[in-house]
Amino acid sequence: MTRLTSPQELNELRQVLSAGTDSRTPCIVICSGTACQAGGATRLIPAAQKFIIGNQLIDKIALRSTGCHGFCEMGPFVLTEPQMAFYPQLKPEDMPRIIEALLAGEYVEELLYKEPSTGQPYYHLSEIPFFKSQQRSVMGFNQRIDPVRIHDYIALGGYVSFAGLLARNAPQEVVQQVKASGLRGRGGAGFPTGTKWEMLAAQKSVGGKFLVCNADEGDPGAYMDRSMLEGNPHSIIEGMLICAFGTGANEGIAYVRKEYPLAIQNLTAALRQARHLGLLGKDILGTGFDFDIRIMPGAGAFVCGEETALIRSIEGKMGEPRQRPPFPIQKGIDGKPTVINNVETWANIPLVFRHGAEKFASVGTQGNSGTKIFSLVGKVRNTGLVEVPMGTTIKEIVYTIGGGAPDKFRIKAVQTGGPSGGCIPAEQFDLPVDYDSLRQAGAIMGSGGMIVMDETTCMVDVARYFMGFLKDESCGKCFTCRKGTQRMFELLDDIAGGRGTPQHLTLLEELALVVKDTTMCGLGQTAANPVLSTLRYFRHEYERHINDKRCDAFVCNELTGAACQTACPLGTEVWRYVALIEKGRYEEAYRVIREPNPFPSVCARVCGHKCESRCRLGTTGGDPIAIRALKRFVTDNTDPTVYKPVRTRKAEPQSQKVAVVGAGPAGLTAAHYLSLKGYKVTVFETGSEPGGMLVSCIPSYRLPRDILQKEIAALLDENITLKCNTALGRDFTLDDLFARDFKAVFLATGSDKSWPLGIDGEGRAGVYSSMEFLKAFNLRGEELATGHVGVIGGGNSAVDAARIALRQKGVKSVTLYYRRTDQEMPAYIDEVDAAKEEGVALETLVSPVKIRHVEQARKEGVKVEDAVSPVKIYSKHGHLTGIDLVRNGLGDVDASGRRRPVPVEGSEFHAELDTLIIAIGERPDSETLTAMGLEVNKDGTLHVDRETLTASRTGVFAGGDLVSGPAMVVDAIAHGRKAAAIIDRYLRGADMTMPAEIMQPDVFLEPAAAADAAEDEEPVRVPIPMLDAAARKTGFDEVELVLSAESAQTEAGRCLRCDLPFTRRVECEEDKAL
Amino acid sequence: MITLKINGVTAAVEEGSTILDAAGFLGFPIPTLCHMEGLTPYGACRICIVEIGEGVQAKLVSSCTYPVAEGMKVRTASKRVLRARKMILELLLASCPQSKVIQDLASAHGVRQQRFKQEHEDCILCGLCVRMCKEQMMAGAIGFRSRGEKRSIGTPFDIKSETCRLCGGCIYVCPACQLRCTYTEPDKAICGGCANLPPPCAEKEAFDDMMCYMNPCVACEIEKDAKTANMME
Repeated sequence: MTRLTSPQELNELRQVLSAGTDSRTPCIVICSGTACQAGGATRLIPAAQKFIIGNQLIDKIALRSTGCHGFCEMGPFVLTEPQMAFYPQLKPEDMPRIIEALLAGEYVEELLYKEPSTGQPYYHLSEIPFFKSQQRSVMGFNQRIDPVRIHDYIALGGYVSFAGLLARNAPQEVVQQVKASGLRGRGGAGFPTGTKWEMLAAQKSVGGKFLVCNADEGDPGAYMDRSMLEGNPHSIIEGMLICAFGTGANEGIAYVRKEYPLAIQNLTAALRQARHLGLLGKDILGTGFDFDIRIMPGAGAFVCGEETALIRSIEGKMGEPRQRPPFPIQKGIDGKPTVINNVETWANIPLVFRHGAEKFASVGTQGNSGTKIFSLVGKVRNTGLVEVPMGTTIKEIVYTIGGGAPDKFRIKAVQTGGPSGGCIPAEQFDLPVDYDSLRQAGAIMGSGGMIVMDETTCMVDVARYFMGFLKDESCGKCFTCRKGTQRMFELLDDIAGGRGTPQHLTLLEELALVVKDTTMCGLGQTAANPVLSTLRYFRHEYERHINDKRCDAFVCNELTGAACQTACPLGTEVWRYVALIEKGRYEEAYRVIREPNPFPSVCARVCGHKCESRCRLGTTGGDPIAIRALKRFVTDNTDPTVYKPVRTRKAEPQSQKVAVVGAGPAGLTAAHYLSLKGYKVTVFETGSEPGGMLVSCIPSYRLPRDILQKEIAALLDENITLKCNTALGRDFTLDDLFARDFKAVFLATGSDKSWPLGIDGEGRAGVYSSMEFLKAFNLRGEELATGHVGVIGGGNSAVDAARIALRQKGVKSVTLYYRRTDQEMPAYIDEVDAAKEEGVALETLVSPVKIRHVEQARKEGVKVEDAVSPVKIYSKHGHLTGIDLVRNGLGDVDASGRRRPVPVEGSEFHAELDTLIIAIGERPDSETLTAMGLEVNKDGTLHVDRETLTASRTGVFAGGDLVSGPAMVVDAIAHGRKAAAIIDRYLRGADMTMPAEIMQPDVFLEPAAAADAAEDEEPVRVPIPMLDAAARKTGFDEVELVLSAESAQTEAGRCLRCDLPFTRRVECEEDKAL
Repeated sequence: MITLKINGVTAAVEEGSTILDAAGFLGFPIPTLCHMEGLTPYGACRICIVEIGEGVQAKLVSSCTYPVAEGMKVRTASKRVLRARKMILELLLASCPQSKVIQDLASAHGVRQQRFKQEHEDCILCGLCVRMCKEQMMAGAIGFRSRGEKRSIGTPFDIKSETCRLCGGCIYVCPACQLRCTYTEPDKAICGGCANLPPPCAEKEAFDDMMCYMNPCVACEIEKDAKTANMME
């Protein structure tokens, strides 16, 4: 390379270079950033080269290996120019096809990036949602240049604005322009860069002035500085040159951590090339201006990102901060004035001069100009580097660009700014991301790390993780930072380990505030942020750990135990019976299942199996154990009498009397356990038989009635009197009960009143609420559905109703209408699938607008008007004939993290219906309770103290759906059992609050022998056998069948046995004791 | 000369002085642990924090390192300062319960409890010994090693230093008794001075057990027992 001797020569070189590049030449762009290299990009390049050379295509196609493009999740990937087709996650053998397609102007469809939800391929980079909403003014250069080729950078106009400044000899322009651009430091604090430079320019110094590029990026999860250094080192060099020219600095230092070998390598090459071209060193571009940059590799201490520690590190001393003032701008390296800016700040400088300060300032918001790169990581679909204008909302970044949650778990927070930053809860995702808004919300911009967290992230654990990081990375000089972080970690570790007390929380908060207040440097002052911000927004999680000894994210090991057990509302020792099944010890397995659950056969069929959704096999990427099917296998194959309930007290004639109102799962469970404790229980039931929702709603093809009746009959012993056809409010009141010497009352009347749609015409014939429809059939055998049937709703009762309708005579078709996508249906997914198999058509993203009953009514000779009030219709002969529906589009993300259904104008359509079933939810029928003076919540549920289940009247307890709203059977059983324990405590005069217990496996069971080495196939989740779809459509035989002994044992053998770390420990300790 | 206000009192001090100097000039007491005349100010122990600035700008700084500025307003014993100082003392007590200096300071500040897990580090890493060795004894035999909670003081690689002249300056300045008060194990003790002092319980009527720097001397317990026995009689 010849040395350039004037700014003019640089311009000429640029013109030659630009003329030599034709944007129409096909080019294969391979990302060779660190992430893509790790993904295998280094094998793609030789594969491409080999094919190009082997087929003599050198003249026809170019190959460029570039720095990071940002979509690291999809690496290694290839971009084709000029098509701009994006091929993610490639293998070397894919390269020839891509090159051939590119030369032919075609696409390799199956390799293109596809929309994850629909599978639609994207043909152009700019259509991909991840890139679409970004504004990549800084990062964008990465894909257009090879970082080790200075000519690529110059061809795109690099160094030209610097040369212009030199040619005009206008150093005063530099500070002026940067100030006008409003650029603020990208390192995190957001100090105005122009102001800083102005101060440096004003400093008088004999020994020279320093510029430092701070590339000591150490936040866990942030890597934009590395990508900039790797992908476009010249932009940083140019930025520093401009500053040096404007402020009179003569030495530049790039402080890069040693862990970034590729960044150091590319920057070294760039510096060498710039020196060769006469852009660095003595007499730059022949103008007599001297400036050089050297690389200072840092040893990777997080604290060295703090400017005074960084200075000491550069000076060769221990990296520990010192008192400011004096600021580095006055006394920096070797006592000389020093400006320290972050990599991204330097990379922004050429942009300011390329397009002008005004244009730069027009991006972003007032006081926060330009774009900012974030590294979007964590529980989000698209991870990678994202560049957006300042002031973009978190929602936009996380949902539009990031694609939202990758799993079914809801996103609950975003952590910004690394260990010094804080969390922002999902409710505040409308917050614009800029320095000031984030600070107000208790977080900081930091260098731009953005870690997305969902329900499987425990905030106590997050705080604990960051504090662990900080206690290791604090320099240790300030006593409060060193000891404070260590002590905060200890306290958090105690809380996460179930040893926390309310005093821990007080002390933690006190300490955090003092650490924030009393340390010297930024690290210490922000070290308490992870604690303070999680306490601010997620205090309930701390309290749950401390008071209830539960970690709802199932992260904290000591509190989670075996996740299947802690997830179960009943605390069933799932791991234990699964292990017993594997060993063929079915009777023992039955006892383990029956012990906490008086309805084992019912739960084996209709349980919502929270255990499966938290199964470690499932949460770590595999398929969870089919726990419910295993339970079914045991309950179907074991004689229930192998379990003998333990009677703690004998009922005497003078035993205290307890009334249970409602013979559903909650009521019967409470009655059963109360009876075991020696109480005389009378159960009052409105219906003609016991079972509650189990008989009235759940279809018999899911829960055969003989099985249910047997299970109930086994619970009713001599202490329990069942009184059917007796309704609270109609036949007796609470006062009556107490007058008849009942000492306590447990209300479990359930939640069986359907919510109305709230639109005209709901009272017409042919329109039923799901409860009405289900009860009519299940209890009385009435078939209400005829002709074409529509069901509105997406919950379990909607699906049950649709499937029952399908089995009724005279039904031609059944359609289920739901307002969101089928992915978001609250019904159990296997039920939805089963319904689809049976022929239930599913129309999603549809919501009803109007119900019509024109045709039928006219035939009957009734004059009908469009706008009629529901009261009138109810009393006349109107019969439903069809409904109008409108299609929904996906709108904004709501607080639940799901996108709101928004009606699309003009998309209305008509559906001819003879029956409409409305199943959009249920509420308790609590009017009678209000009349009896009990306090009722807004949603109709009875108000109780969550801890003790006590209602607003002494001696009255409540549980089940009446308290929780519609929930799972297992939740009701759990309430019933808890109520029995609490009522017992109440009647004995003991404290009603149950002490929280840590639930951990405590019985050791030998793990299964390791599978044969020959079997390299991982066993997969056993498919649950079902009746043939055609056969089951016509009848009410049980749809699900039971597993064979062999498949049950294989399935049980897949268990990861999360119990072993706990039970083994017991064993070890016992050994030690011996 | 620079004019500033400390606790409302105006003072004029030389440029380049620290707040600690200025407060000392006016006679306002500020406790220190890592500070010593003749050694470079270090600002590590944070016990000398004072509050400067007003409103939202108010912040706590270490007075031993912070230079005075024209018009500065300093509060040496505001609520915020005292609250922080108490917490610092609690942390110090948790790490170095046997230091007489720390015990006395804690007692003077009314710290009556220590809520953390008790440690016996016998060193607060104030760095007085390091600076003494280097700046006054011109040796530089010891220094800081590692960072974060692993930070410690010693010779490089724990090898016996050739520059150390066994002058004892490091021990002389130590506020945490690292080498002085291992009284319970006499073979390790250097001076044994502390162990020869009369226990405070012998002189005081109601002594808070927790605050006894002689823990586990139990002399007071014996006396208490004797008193109770007397009362019983």
